[in-house]
Amino acid sequence: MELTLTTAGSYPRIGDAPDLQRHRQAYGQRERGELSPAAFGEVEDEVTAVAIREQIEAGIELVTDGQIRWYDPYSHLARRLEGIEINGLLRLFDTNVYFRQPVVRGRVHRRGPILLPEYEFARSVSSRPIKPVLTGPYTLARGSILGGAYASVHALALAYADPLAQEVRDLAGAGATVIQVDEPAILRHPEDLNVLEEALAPLAAERGTSRLMLHTSFGDVTPLYRDLQAMPVDVLGLDFTYGPKLAMLIAETGSDKSLALGLIDARNTKLETREGVFPILDTVLPALKVGQAFLMPSCGLEFLPRDRARQKLETMKRLRDAYLGGRS
Amino acid sequence: MSRQKLARLGLDLPLLPTSTVGSFPKTPELAAARTKYARKELTKPELEALEKKATEYWVRAQEEIGLDVLVDGEQYRGDMVAHFAEIMGGFRTGGLVRSYGNRYYHKPIIVGPVRWPGPMTVAWWRWTQSLTTKPVKGMLTGPYTIMDWSFNDHYPDRKSACLALAREIRKEVEALIEAGAKIIQIDEPAISVRQEELPFAIEALSLTVDGLPAYFITHACYGAFETIYPDMLELPVDNLDLAISNSALDLLKIFEKDPFTKDLSLGVLDVHSHKIETREEIRARIMRGLRVLPMERIWVDPDCGLKTRTVEESRAKLAAMVGVVRTLRAELPKTP
Repeated sequence: MELTLTTAGSYPRIGDAPDLQRHRQAYGQRERGELSPAAFGEVEDEVTAVAIREQIEAGIELVTDGQIRWYDPYSHLARRLEGIEINGLLRLFDTNVYFRQPVVRGRVHRRGPILLPEYEFARSVSSRPIKPVLTGPYTLARGSILGGAYASVHALALAYADPLAQEVRDLAGAGATVIQVDEPAILRHPEDLNVLEEALAPLAAERGTSRLMLHTSFGDVTPLYRDLQAMPVDVLGLDFTYGPKLAMLIAETGSDKSLALGLIDARNTKLETREGVFPILDTVLPALKVGQAFLMPSCGLEFLPRDRARQKLETMKRLRDAYLGGRS
Repeated sequence: MSRQKLARLGLDLPLLPTSTVGSFPKTPELAAARTKYARKELTKPELEALEKKATEYWVRAQEEIGLDVLVDGEQYRGDMVAHFAEIMGGFRTGGLVRSYGNRYYHKPIIVGPVRWPGPMTVAWWRWTQSLTTKPVKGMLTGPYTIMDWSFNDHYPDRKSACLALAREIRKEVEALIEAGAKIIQIDEPAISVRQEELPFAIEALSLTVDGLPAYFITHACYGAFETIYPDMLELPVDNLDLAISNSALDLLKIFEKDPFTKDLSLGVLDVHSHKIETREEIRARIMRGLRVLPMERIWVDPDCGLKTRTVEESRAKLAAMVGVVRTLRAELPKTP
């Protein structure tokens, strides 16, 4: 069994030490007009490169760019689409983090590539493969204020699917082997599984030889696990921190898809132990039909202080190595 | 029903009692002093003297505006969770995490058994109450919200951390009551974030207040109430303070289906808007509440703490609110 280490998206931009304040200071300078957008972009490049380096040093094999440039999971993509305006702050699921809500004003379409330049930069500074992460069409639609030509979440999800499919095509064409699509909103709206499936289809159609990883977090995925097996994706990314019965369900029903096991709690500082992680691996791994699985944090690491985020990744690698070492 | 409890506690409040949710903006003088204190250009006693001066300013302001139940205005507080985490045993200041944009805060970490360190809010309450004959609310943050807004390195799970906090915060409630507080507000803004955890959030608040002689209010804001209603009526408090003026006005539609069984503090001012509400707007919001609840069970207040508004905006908004309530008190008994 292969157990590839990956991260789920965001990485903390700043730390607590004085020399880790670069991004925050530059952001303030840009807001005050003391730093040009281009100069701020260079700071984002630097911080992105450090986020990638820290993941690699911690042993992560499939890294992300840390989403350093993302204001939040919604507005980063939506603000660059035609037909969308960005509104006030709303709480992100059950977190104490806020996102800017997209408001639909007209027909949604893409002006040009959004994530491709970010992916290409990340790849240029990384010795390990980069996994691009995008917020999926259903979750974007659920978090938006309806308007324009779209009278339902269903219609808007399909409208978002088109530009996102173009993103997937660009990223797959540029060589991304795994592309992560975040759809946390489905956990709160299981009645919309058919909408999710329909909205993911255009992305799946454009994935070429890359594999799509559907990721859910901020809730218990257990009740939807069987249904997610039917989605047009290759890998399911699962947050285990909400679902005490998830491991047993997987053991009972197996998985036709590759799984990314979010066993490392990215919402709490407490470091995981063998006693917590090994029994779940013992339960889940024998049930998998596909040779490769992933081990990952439960969601993006930005909910943690920087030093603890890194310790979480180091802990994840130590546990993975000990687990596989003990069984080979 | 709860008016009888208020009477038993010796509180004679008018109909539609007016109050505020807790925080007021720092006065400009205090805001400048806090910056200086952060730069170590001011000593702690110097800062505290200005905090008292600002508190006194707000007590006078509340009296001038004509509010019925006063607060100390939280001039000494930064964050509503970190303030308690810094004082209580078992917490450590955590590293910086981002809230949104370029805003970061130190999220506390529970690193050992949480412990009540002796009275945390009593001195401020006692001092504030000494400045006025109007009742002053005791103000605490609830166990569920302190748990949810902290990391937990110590307890095996969220529930045990929450219940441990509840037992310690109860001691603060007892200390406030012993000092003479009759109305105690326990804020739980995080209460609606995880529907599946509502049972232990309720259990925790019960551990905090059960059997204690005070009129309890719980303030919650900006959550998906429809997901925890009507179960949230199990919260063991007399009054639920909900953000109604903003998006949640539809909440009252939900009440028409499952009757609201407690007193309701109707948040009728939008604290995130610079605009001063017109009397017509405020009146319409209160009337909407009066359609689903009898006036004996309604309190009137802003939808959240006013700390993000200016001093002038806060005063103007509250004056408009109190003006409408006074008019309604004169009119309403005549209309069946």
